[in-house]
Amino acid sequence: MDILQLIQSNLLTPIILFFLFGIIAARIKSDLKIPEAISEFLPIYLLAAIGLHGGIEMRNTGFENMLIPMLVAIGLSLLFTLNHYQILRRLGKFNIFDSYALASTYGAVGAVTFSVGLSFLKNQGVSSEGYLAAILAVLEPVAFIMAIFLTNVAVSKQIRAKKQSFTNDDTSDIEMGIQGTKTKLSQVLHESITGKAIVILLGSIVIGYIIGESGFDSISIVFDEMFTGAIVIFMIEMGIIAGQRLDDIKKVGIFLTAFAIIMPTFNGIIGVLVATAMGLSLGGAVMFGLLLASASFIAAPAVLRHAIPQANPSLYITSALGITFPYNIIVLLPIMFAISTLVHSEGSIDLFNYIIKGLI
Amino acid sequence: MKLYNVKLLTITCEILAQKNIIEILKNHEITGYTSYEVEGNGARGLRGQGLQTEKNVKVEVIMREEKLSDVIEEISQTLFADFAIVLYVSDVGVLRTEKF
Repeated sequence: MDILQLIQSNLLTPIILFFLFGIIAARIKSDLKIPEAISEFLPIYLLAAIGLHGGIEMRNTGFENMLIPMLVAIGLSLLFTLNHYQILRRLGKFNIFDSYALASTYGAVGAVTFSVGLSFLKNQGVSSEGYLAAILAVLEPVAFIMAIFLTNVAVSKQIRAKKQSFTNDDTSDIEMGIQGTKTKLSQVLHESITGKAIVILLGSIVIGYIIGESGFDSISIVFDEMFTGAIVIFMIEMGIIAGQRLDDIKKVGIFLTAFAIIMPTFNGIIGVLVATAMGLSLGGAVMFGLLLASASFIAAPAVLRHAIPQANPSLYITSALGITFPYNIIVLLPIMFAISTLVHSEGSIDLFNYIIKGLI
Repeated sequence: MKLYNVKLLTITCEILAQKNIIEILKNHEITGYTSYEVEGNGARGLRGQGLQTEKNVKVEVIMREEKLSDVIEEISQTLFADFAIVLYVSDVGVLRTEKF
């Protein structure tokens, strides 16, 4: 079958092989480790490369056609986050904090997953719209901000209810709580916008836009030709960290494991179909789907540990990094590529038909 | 030389709690501290490996005894439940007491 073949050939690419190798290295308790400075440098490098490419592309295509995909992406991301929350809270019986933390982890985007997706497309000889890099930057804080806002609302509601049950007319505590909530939210907003990932991404987009194709020539050896190689090195590190967490997966539970596989598949396929309906190219639809399918595991702990400290970080880090990330890059990426190829090869767009086909 | 008695508060915690601690110190008008990255094992398993955000730090603060109980009370009330934290206090002697 077509999809199976794609998965198989994807499995034998250097990116996936080095990731699996990293897992094995961690399992045999090797002392293999990517030096800290390099593993800190690589995400910055990857984001700079993504941003530069995006900026150059945007110079060629202009901003106008970016607006609708961006708004749709934000809308879907918010919708999915709410949907995750309902599923986790009602079906998974997670507490309110874990539910919101997990919901936003899966509503947010993964920059590493995005890089792997770009290099997957490069491998297939397909290009994607450059403005997706800008969507990546905008989408990053959206899911967190909403989850944090809703958590705070829920907590202050609880405090209010408790106060009322004591029929205490002293409301100063509640007001203090609400005040605290507001400052917390603006702090999170400030922190996530000035966070290194978004700053380097937006900065590179602007620089890419200014320098254009001709200016990029002089640096393309670093930011173009070395891109896949750099991901490979980073994948060793990701593999090692995922491998170290393999034991934790047992603690995550069957429900969350299933959630960590089913939700990205659902979100990703919807993403591909919606993107196709909006007129994105074959590769662009795959990347759009990947944006919605990916979970955040580098930015999420930094944001959520402060904003929702009550949530258990090992739940959201382990499920995002240990389950969803490998699944996304090994299995889901080829599936989305096959679906996107399918819906792009035929002229008309009959969404229902494609979903059925996609599931078969 | 005469040594003056002051308290040394040592907090070993996950790196993401460091900001909260420094915030609390600031609220009590303590601006001086020293921090460094550490590794170790404890109730929350081996720490200091893996992701950047999962590192551990050790924060050392010298302060006068008067402020100590307020500071540790606030830290224990706001952070103990949600973060990996170990906190202890020791007696130290300093030469220039006006610095603290």
